[in-house]
Amino acid sequence: MARNPLKDQLAVVGVGSTPYGRDLKRTELSLALEAATAAVEDAGLDRQEIDGICGTGMDPLAMGGSGFLTLQGALGIEKTTWQKNGWLGSCFVYAAEAVFSGLCDTVLVVQAYTRGIGMSRSAAADPFRLRSAQLRAAGGHTIVGQSDPARRWIHSGEPYAAWMARYLHDYGATKDVFARIAVNNRTHATTNPRAAMRTPITMEDYHASRVIWEPMQMLDMDVPVDCGEALIITTAERARDLRHSPVYIHAMSLGGSRVGEYYDNSLGWTENALWISLAGLRERSDLTIDDLDLFFPYDGYTIDTVGCIEAAGFCKPGETADLLASGWDAEANIYRLGGHTLVSTNGGALSHGRAGGFNFYTEAVRQLRGTEGERQVPDARTALVCAGASFFHDPASVMLRTD
Amino acid sequence: MTGMADAAEVTHATDAEVFAALPAVLIDRDNVEHYRGLLARRLLINRCAACGYWVYPHRPLCPKCWSWDVVPTQVSGDGFVFLCTLVHQERDPDAAPGEPVSTAAVELVEQPGLRYLAPVVNCPPDRVRLDMPVRLTWVDRDGVAWPAFQPSGPIEGGR
Ligand SMILES: [Zn+2]
Repeated sequence: MARNPLKDQLAVVGVGSTPYGRDLKRTELSLALEAATAAVEDAGLDRQEIDGICGTGMDPLAMGGSGFLTLQGALGIEKTTWQKNGWLGSCFVYAAEAVFSGLCDTVLVVQAYTRGIGMSRSAAADPFRLRSAQLRAAGGHTIVGQSDPARRWIHSGEPYAAWMARYLHDYGATKDVFARIAVNNRTHATTNPRAAMRTPITMEDYHASRVIWEPMQMLDMDVPVDCGEALIITTAERARDLRHSPVYIHAMSLGGSRVGEYYDNSLGWTENALWISLAGLRERSDLTIDDLDLFFPYDGYTIDTVGCIEAAGFCKPGETADLLASGWDAEANIYRLGGHTLVSTNGGALSHGRAGGFNFYTEAVRQLRGTEGERQVPDARTALVCAGASFFHDPASVMLRTD
Repeated sequence: MTGMADAAEVTHATDAEVFAALPAVLIDRDNVEHYRGLLARRLLINRCAACGYWVYPHRPLCPKCWSWDVVPTQVSGDGFVFLCTLVHQERDPDAAPGEPVSTAAVELVEQPGLRYLAPVVNCPPDRVRLDMPVRLTWVDRDGVAWPAFQPSGPIEGGR
């Protein structure tokens, strides 16, 4: 017999459907929203009880259409701790496993389809369907506004640069806060044989680096690399019989906000998806940041790390500059949080290399196993990974621990 | 269901004309009235007729009250700079570096958090300040007038 711990543990409580037609003259999103609102009303739920969404699509970053980001924004659902896109029959299974695992309690699954231009001659003659097919085909998925000259932020670095300026403006910080993050990560990378960038840098090097999107500079940005990372997850019981001392997944949370998928309409600094994800983790974790040996905040841009530090609760919003200055070890050229927590010991995305944050997980596992020789952090037993954390999509907070 | 019929009076551009004028834009049935408005130099944002909430990005359902009665409505054009980037480097690494271009998320006075992304013009890029009051204007690009914003008060000195 196979294990079936979810036996009788889950139930479907609401359903919603739209009319079907060959040409309803509506967007996929419009149809998705009609079904979604009907399902919520059928269940008799308050929509704010929904804390997980499975949208439509094969692409995890599918935006526009009826992907989970667009659905959450369009439905005005404040907070979710689990999101995914899926399709065909498997999306139901994904949603069920999310509830069973405790990453969310009430999940909304929405699937919408529209007749593609390849499906009939009349569909191919519809200018709306044609335009959608042409522009979506280009990148496999559509980042909303990508093809809209009125929405001219094309590269994600541009709005992050704008948020850096907003942060400096609102909190009166100087760019030293970003410089310390860049230097800390580079210093750690010098001892990581896998790191792409191993030449030490100084605060002065940071400030002298080329401006790309003001105020963002070259050394605020992660380093694109070719790389591969993998890991294997099994049950704790099975893990105890294997070769390495197990690294346990203590708690996890994703984060989604009602802003949906736009940077320019993003919520306030302390309301974005990082804060929701880390609050979701706190609610699920027996360990706190006071117990942390290692912290891996996302650092696609240095401003991401500032967000992770503040959202994790190491300091109040706007106080990271002071925190890093007081935790700065001028001899080692690194900082510690709360006097002991080391940050980005692999060098992070800024200096180890851009792996979507997945290299944070593998580094954390190696350090918690205690197998890292000269670069081993003594007695590392806990690690908090915030990988791939955009302000609005995909923030994942994962607490790892060893015995 | 979407209230789009009301906005058809805004301009006489047909769907075909909107598609032809804006070949690179992902025009769909939820945003076509916005683009039809642009062709008539009117900045239209969807607004909920039931509760008054401005619905942007363009979606057919009000995220506040779940009313489907969402009507494209002209905004005043007044706002302030909430986010701004000076783009020094184009996406294409081979492109010649030009003058930095300021792109702003302008928060419109109609509603907190209601922001429209557009260039700031008639102001040196290094004098664009966060929270600076701005007003809608139009700039010509590829034969089409696009929304832009210019300072509505005095421009402060360099930084
Ligand atoms: Zn409303």
